[in-house]
Amino acid sequence: MLRFIVRRLLQLIPTLGGLSILLFVWLQRLPGGPEYALLPDDATAEQRAALRRSLGLDEPLAVQYLTFLRRIVQGDLGTSLQTSRPVLDEFFLRFPATFELAVTAMLIAVTLGLPLGYLAARKRGTVLDFAAVGGSLLGICTPVFFLAFILKVVFAENLGLFPSAFRLSPGLSRTDITGFVVLDGLMTREWDVVTDALAHLVLPGLALASIPLAVITRMTRASVLEVMGEDYVRTANAKGLHRTTVRTRHVLRNALLPVVTAVGLLAGSLFAGAVLTESVFAFPGIGSFVYAATQTRDYPVLTGFILLIATMYVFINLLVDISYSLLDPRVRAQ
Amino acid sequence: MFMKSSRKPLGLVAVAASLALMATACAESDRGDGGGEEQPFVFAAAGDIASLDPFLASDGETFRYSRQVFETLLEHESGGSEIVGGLAETWDQSEDGTRWTFNLHDNVKFHDGDDLNADAVCANFDRWFNLTGAYQSSNNSYYWQKIFGGFAENDEDHAPPEPRFVSCDAEDELTVTIEVSEYSSLYPGGFSLAAFGIMSPTSLEAMEGQEITGEEGNPTLPEYTQVPGTVAGTGPFTVEEWNQDQGEITMERFEDYWGDPAGFETMILRAIPDENARRQALEAGDIHGYDLVAPADVAPLQEAGFEVPTRDVFNLLYLAYQQDHEALADLEVREALSHAVNRQRIVDTILPEGGEVASQFHPDTLDGWSPDVREIEYDPELAAEMLAEAGHEDLEIEFCYPTEVTRPYMPAPKDIFDVITEDLQEAGVTVEAKSYEWAEYINQTDSGNCPLYLLGWTGDYNDAYNFIGTWFSTPNSAWGLDDEELFDKMEEVSTNPDQEERTAGYQELNEMVMDVLPGLPISSSPPSIAFSGDINPPNVSPLTQENFAEASWK
Repeated sequence: MLRFIVRRLLQLIPTLGGLSILLFVWLQRLPGGPEYALLPDDATAEQRAALRRSLGLDEPLAVQYLTFLRRIVQGDLGTSLQTSRPVLDEFFLRFPATFELAVTAMLIAVTLGLPLGYLAARKRGTVLDFAAVGGSLLGICTPVFFLAFILKVVFAENLGLFPSAFRLSPGLSRTDITGFVVLDGLMTREWDVVTDALAHLVLPGLALASIPLAVITRMTRASVLEVMGEDYVRTANAKGLHRTTVRTRHVLRNALLPVVTAVGLLAGSLFAGAVLTESVFAFPGIGSFVYAATQTRDYPVLTGFILLIATMYVFINLLVDISYSLLDPRVRAQ
Repeated sequence: MFMKSSRKPLGLVAVAASLALMATACAESDRGDGGGEEQPFVFAAAGDIASLDPFLASDGETFRYSRQVFETLLEHESGGSEIVGGLAETWDQSEDGTRWTFNLHDNVKFHDGDDLNADAVCANFDRWFNLTGAYQSSNNSYYWQKIFGGFAENDEDHAPPEPRFVSCDAEDELTVTIEVSEYSSLYPGGFSLAAFGIMSPTSLEAMEGQEITGEEGNPTLPEYTQVPGTVAGTGPFTVEEWNQDQGEITMERFEDYWGDPAGFETMILRAIPDENARRQALEAGDIHGYDLVAPADVAPLQEAGFEVPTRDVFNLLYLAYQQDHEALADLEVREALSHAVNRQRIVDTILPEGGEVASQFHPDTLDGWSPDVREIEYDPELAAEMLAEAGHEDLEIEFCYPTEVTRPYMPAPKDIFDVITEDLQEAGVTVEAKSYEWAEYINQTDSGNCPLYLLGWTGDYNDAYNFIGTWFSTPNSAWGLDDEELFDKMEEVSTNPDQEERTAGYQELNEMVMDVLPGLPISSSPPSIAFSGDINPPNVSPLTQENFAEASWK
């Protein structure tokens, strides 16, 4: 297992190296530059050229890339052009918000998707099955911004149940220990902070969960249906095992293998999906910051954040593989 | 084994669900309580601030914050565009316009207890003039370079312009004289810019030696620009906290303020970049006000009981004709295209209430506006005839517009583009649409790659040069205009220190510009601002320079 983990971690080096080259080329091909986004509209051509020069953007791409690599080796991802703060600081300032949002979305997706998919398979052809399949299709098809709009109109504006924006109510004082608001609130017993933070997570969490929920529901349903038709399930039933034992040990355990993989991949994609959700809900996480960085052509932020997200993605996949091997002894044996 | 391990997550889910329900109840109870002296006033901005020191900034959101905390020598009248005294009670200029004398208000205190006096003002100007290194980057001293040129020792790497600032002298306790090398119409308006907010001597001492660090291309701003505690101004609010992770800046009422005290004890600026999210946050009661209301939202918000005061116009949207394009070099073609555009339809259908058709290249709220410029009537038949006479009856032309952006002068770029395109097509012009994201759009239009394009400007201060001087003082590729007579006249007028003569000169210039017709001025529109029903709004400013100390709970 250790060798497996080390091998996967070593694979990170060529993956991130290739990604960084692609990113550099892509960013250079992006139309416009930070000198147009950072200076006011009436800036002169000389001022824009001077800014480009002072940011080192007039250097050849290869030189810029080598400088970037040198900094990476030194643990320096550069400085945001927009805020003039280190990219790594910006990332860790915003990571907790996105992590909390992604965990909320995944909790919603898994806790609803697994039972729904399982029940839909068990009750195949019934109203429940049609509702689950239809609902998940709708979940995949509905654009996040539209769903967010509906959620806000119904639950924030009309019913007044949840806030429509932010991560915490403005002016709410709290003790910052880890940057994770809910965790900090629990640690310091600031219950008003915990409840306020959870209330702010509900609507963006639901919006972000829509696609994973749909995928998990459909995959669970399909997987359970497939496993229920396997010979070993028929055998288990035939030899008189208790129905619950058959369902949990034989059906669910095997049916969950592909679902776990999907959950892992979906968890990674949540960070990408957060870009839109966070923007719509003014949720101050990685997503909304990356969105702003694309508008201002903040190259260091775009490069740094994408590399960090890619690294996280690889780690999440590693965790998925490890959990996969725990669920399926055959994987361990290989 | 599987079931055993699955119980924990289920337990956690149950706890989370319970907490979420508790949160719901709590959130509900916190909302809709209405205003109150203890409750913070929350205003949504379009973005987070860039720095606690406005000198380093060039963006409107930083200036929105800094105007509440710092004050300038001069400012604009509340709710208007006339330049009036700020920290200076009165001011005067020498005959040649190079020496500006300011008589400061007495008994003005900084937030840290320092007294405002002439030495404090000069300490600020001297600091700015003597900045070195990365402070001289156009990104970190944009407005200094625009108004006062370069520095005591210009850094070649950042290539600032030659300095226009000469000295700042404390004539006595409350009298300051600032000398510039030559008169320019940048004065006195430049003294009102938020970038030149005066800080306390103690603040300046604490900032000394705090440099912009990091190697070339990788600058990091010093700590005093990021953490409240160092900077202190004289404004009605003190800066208390800047939560960069939340995009939230908190200000408290300054009890020793020399003017009328602020109506709110606490004011919070919170970033909500998305326009729809700002509106929904106001409707949901999460905030008490926001700026840059979409024109389509004004009426529904008013009907729903929100305050949406109208600003006077202080901006301009124009359709530019880039004259390096063969057909557009012909005045008759430019006139024809101008007759083809129904500007009134744009104002009536797209702009917010209070918008108006522009007759020249600056709004009528500005000194120098001329009632005698030639009028351009909407007449599509005449447009077609003129195009035929000019030999361009089958004119095909690229027309650029920006995407994913709104500007105060251009609230719906695509809609405006569509209306103009339809008008041009009616006159027989074939339009090829070109759209770009904002950064690239500015690049393309600046480089002269767009024959027709939409752009505009919101004024920084009340001087016509801030509009027409920006565009028509030198040859540039954005317009492809090379008119020596016009440029010479602009130079002559803008360097005349006599205010009355200068105003008359600007009127002549406006008439000249409309004769040359480098573009078609389309409209001036009032950017809207909205407040919840329990707020007495501040006087709204045509320059979007609201003083939130004037606002209060009802």
